[in-house]
Amino acid sequence: MSQQEHVLPVPTAPAARQRTWGIRPLAPWQWSSLSIGSLLLLWWALSASGLVPALFLPSPAAVLTKLQSLVVQGYMEATLQQHLLASLQRMLLALLAAVGIGVPLGILIGVFPLLRHWLDPIIEFYRPLPPLAYLPLIVIWFGIGEVSKVLLIFLAILAPVLIATTHGVASVHSIRQQAALSLGASRGQLLRHVILPGALPDILTGIRIGLGAGWSTLVAAELIAATRGLGFMIQSAAQFLGTDIVVLGIIAIALVAFVLELGLRRLQRVLTPWHGKAL
Amino acid sequence: MSLLQVDKLTVHYPGQPLPALQQVSLGLSPDELLVALGPSGCGKSTLLNVLAGFIAPTHGTVQFDGKPVSGPGAERAVVFQNDGLLPWLDVAGNVAFGLKLQGVPAAQRAAIVADTLQQVGLADAGGKRVWELSGGMRQRVGIARALASQSRVLLMDEPFGALDAFTREQMQQLLLNVWQRSQRGVFLITHDIEEALFLATSLVLMSPGPGRIVQYLRPTFSQRFLAGESVRAIKSDPEFITLREELLASLTRTQHEEAA
Repeated sequence: MSQQEHVLPVPTAPAARQRTWGIRPLAPWQWSSLSIGSLLLLWWALSASGLVPALFLPSPAAVLTKLQSLVVQGYMEATLQQHLLASLQRMLLALLAAVGIGVPLGILIGVFPLLRHWLDPIIEFYRPLPPLAYLPLIVIWFGIGEVSKVLLIFLAILAPVLIATTHGVASVHSIRQQAALSLGASRGQLLRHVILPGALPDILTGIRIGLGAGWSTLVAAELIAATRGLGFMIQSAAQFLGTDIVVLGIIAIALVAFVLELGLRRLQRVLTPWHGKAL
Repeated sequence: MSLLQVDKLTVHYPGQPLPALQQVSLGLSPDELLVALGPSGCGKSTLLNVLAGFIAPTHGTVQFDGKPVSGPGAERAVVFQNDGLLPWLDVAGNVAFGLKLQGVPAAQRAAIVADTLQQVGLADAGGKRVWELSGGMRQRVGIARALASQSRVLLMDEPFGALDAFTREQMQQLLLNVWQRSQRGVFLITHDIEEALFLATSLVLMSPGPGRIVQYLRPTFSQRFLAGESVRAIKSDPEFITLREELLASLTRTQHEEAA
């Protein structure tokens, strides 16, 4: 037996790769494309077969035609681009305000923990509320103008930014702070050179989550007497059973959210390349 | 003459039955490499933290250059076991950090950084990211950072405790060479008997429960290394081994006394 074993050829080691159980390995993006493709195919099959009336689900071709007319002629006195721009402007304003208030406030809370006990109940009170619940109150207090719309989105972004910043400041390694102090850092230098950069990965994560929350509040915000915006476009089309425009609006909102997310992930990699590295 | 002087220092943490340090007195002069050796719980970390200014004494005084220590300061740079480097700065940026805080002009900073990196054997690593470095290299950067800042003493908190044996021995030799050139007092804490004997020009043996100094020694092995003797020859010298065993016996005895 043992002699025979010597004669046996040494099995050549296959190139190291994960087991795929016979499924041809696909790149992640290929899987994702396949998933989107099959969804489109299902959509096409459902509408082409006539199983679902066009009123409920317009065909992909009809939606494409509508897209063209939306871009060229527009809907409700504004083109798709103008609706998109109106929504993005609201988002940007709300984001700037949320970062401008949330980050400094988060740092203050992180540095002075007493402040946290005071602000925590307020934040935790409003954070889980659905924006539609306090929307009427905002309209009563701030009217039906642009302020109310931006305010609603701002509130949605503020909570995650504030919480992430507070957490980021609190989790800056105390050894790094001690090292800076023993090299002669003043309180201001410590904040600028150690605490802020140390909290940056968390702050960026907070902004990412906040943008997602803000964008999903958009439709609610544009319920308030808007004349432009993707959310407004969807709602007014729904009142006239313009299902094709509703579908287009949904796709546009999803695409923008996807691009924002990718952009922020990119930003995070560029600004905080050390994030997630063992240190 | 002592640059850093500790007199009858007692540190008692609230809620603890025994003081972490009781009536500890010692001095560090500018040409000295003072090592505090002891098991965990002997108060050596507390002592270092008091010298650094991170912890205030309960009783007793700590003076630097005749003035009481009231907090962390640039004249007493600390080298940590877990380096505490800033990952958003590259290696050169980390080494320059102390100088930048003190407002040293960029050109002067660059010259000091280049010279210091050379001293710790990282002449070509200035542009590297700190997370690309091995543990030993990170510790070199930590030492370079403390050296480059215009500190007058270095406080080293078990600086080689997390390194493998081979790298640790390399770093011990590097430290002796750097110390000889820098003309700065070094206070180093460790629980490694060989390391303490090899590095120290003055050695205090500490014991727990309450933390105190139980023995003073003046080993000469670091001078022999700097005079050209090899590290292996020194560490296998019967005199070195005898002292090592005596210290070990002494440590074991105090641990037994504490247990009893």
